[in-house]
Amino acid sequence: MSAPSLTNYIVKRPWLKRWMTPIAQWYTDAAGYRRLGLKFDDLIPEESETVQKAIKRLSSKEAYDRVFRIRRAVQCSISHTLLPPHEQTKPEEDVEYLSPIIREIEKEAKEREDLDNLVIRK
Amino acid sequence: MLSRSSLSRNAPRALSAGRRAMASSANPSFQYDVTETAGVKVANREVTGPTGTLALVAKAGSRYQPFPGFADALEKFAFKTTLKRSALRITREVELYGGEITSTHSRENVVLRTKFIADQLPYFTELLAETTSQPRFADHELNEVVKDLLKYQQQAAFARPENVALDAAHGVAFHRGLGTSITPSTNTPYEKYMSADAIAEYAKDAYSKSNIALVSVGPNAADVNKWVGQFFKDLPTGSSSSQFKVQPSAASKYYGGEQRIASKVGNAVVMAFPGSSAFGSPGFKPEATVLAALLGGESTIKWTPGFSLLSQATQEFRGLNVSTQNFAYSDAGLFTVTLTGRAEQVGAASKNVVDALKKAAAGEVSSEDIKKATALAKFRALESVQTLETGLEATGSGLVHGAKAYQIGEIAQAIENVSEQQVKDVAKSFLSGKATLVSVGDVFQLPYAEDLGLTV
Repeated sequence: MSAPSLTNYIVKRPWLKRWMTPIAQWYTDAAGYRRLGLKFDDLIPEESETVQKAIKRLSSKEAYDRVFRIRRAVQCSISHTLLPPHEQTKPEEDVEYLSPIIREIEKEAKEREDLDNLVIRK
Repeated sequence: MLSRSSLSRNAPRALSAGRRAMASSANPSFQYDVTETAGVKVANREVTGPTGTLALVAKAGSRYQPFPGFADALEKFAFKTTLKRSALRITREVELYGGEITSTHSRENVVLRTKFIADQLPYFTELLAETTSQPRFADHELNEVVKDLLKYQQQAAFARPENVALDAAHGVAFHRGLGTSITPSTNTPYEKYMSADAIAEYAKDAYSKSNIALVSVGPNAADVNKWVGQFFKDLPTGSSSSQFKVQPSAASKYYGGEQRIASKVGNAVVMAFPGSSAFGSPGFKPEATVLAALLGGESTIKWTPGFSLLSQATQEFRGLNVSTQNFAYSDAGLFTVTLTGRAEQVGAASKNVVDALKKAAAGEVSSEDIKKATALAKFRALESVQTLETGLEATGSGLVHGAKAYQIGEIAQAIENVSEQQVKDVAKSFLSGKATLVSVGDVFQLPYAEDLGLTV
């Protein structure tokens, strides 16, 4: 689901992480989706079986909130406005809610594929 | 060819049952060897052969569930994803080993059963321990797998009128507890109670050490205790205090009454009376099992209606099924006569059933028939213990419910000692006491208890 990223490389090296974190925070904020009230996981393209399945596995509250955020953002986009600051997504609210489920589904799919291609040596 | 004279010589010999002592009571291989390993009760039966069976019986059937559908969900969650392995991996591994894993539930128990080639005992013991002590109960598994399975189970169970009638008969006879539907009917609003967390709480209590028993039949009885001790030591000791725990068993009380359910799936009439509870409990009445065999309805021999009173009484109805059963539970029993077929036949045959019962109560039954019924009842009791399908649960159930383990010799002796007078008395008590009558199907044609002469 994800583009190639250096995240793991950076996170493993504390000095580099310390150095990169402010830049990352500035960059994420500058991306602008938080001003439309979205979370990063709302931007994941949902036109795939994996993500569709992940969306089905959301709890009903999470699924409702997701649809609400997306509709609100679309409305903002149509009217060329930004949300008032207190309605914008705060950095601490911008947490992964869909990605863990996607990773789990990918793991399941990989396990299935591995088991399907199992070679038994006795 | 047998000559006529040899037949006439042998017939009286066959009838004088009880002259020979029970051959099987001396056979040690039928007896289970009960021990306690790591706080878990284990019943072992050493049987030489290439395969083995290990079953886990938990006292968590529909009788003990806190909310409708929990026993079903627990059964369907067996061998699903655990904290260590995914359900898919478990399936594939079992396929590679060539074993068999099944789970079922009854009114009193949830039974997880594994069958395997004998030297794979450790793997399957670990699997049973894992699925009971470290289940994951993922929300999506409940929504994507378990709920669908439950729906199919409901449809399968309630597509047969006799199942609907038997389930309703239990409800009318015992109200709560044993009367709870074994699978919630399609109209039951059970979904609102069901969540993965609730089932997890229920499982924690259901699979606690004091609530389960392991029953093993196979060639390596000595190893079973070793592996059980190793894998089952992490099982919870139970007694969680949530609302989802296994419900305490209130003593079953028989109420009785009448229920009529309009249905298009077919016609069934169930007449039920308080029967015999399981062997080893105070309510064990061997005479009820003899009466069940005497009334019968289904022949045990091909191309003949058989000796039983009901098959004789309903001989002229083609396509009508009659059967008599005694459902034995740990503290109560339900004696049922089930009729299925076309509505007008079921209605007419119901009267014949009551007449046959009256005949048995009046003692107008030849002593030869009672002897045959005693022999059949004895055979059925012994066979149900010997057959793995029923014997595993019966043995485990005896252990978790605190009754004594099945002792084949004693059951056979108890049934053999039943006198004609006892059979007569139990039939009389059925007619004088409160009966249960459930009619399912075309209720326009099906009879009321009043028409049949039963008191409800």
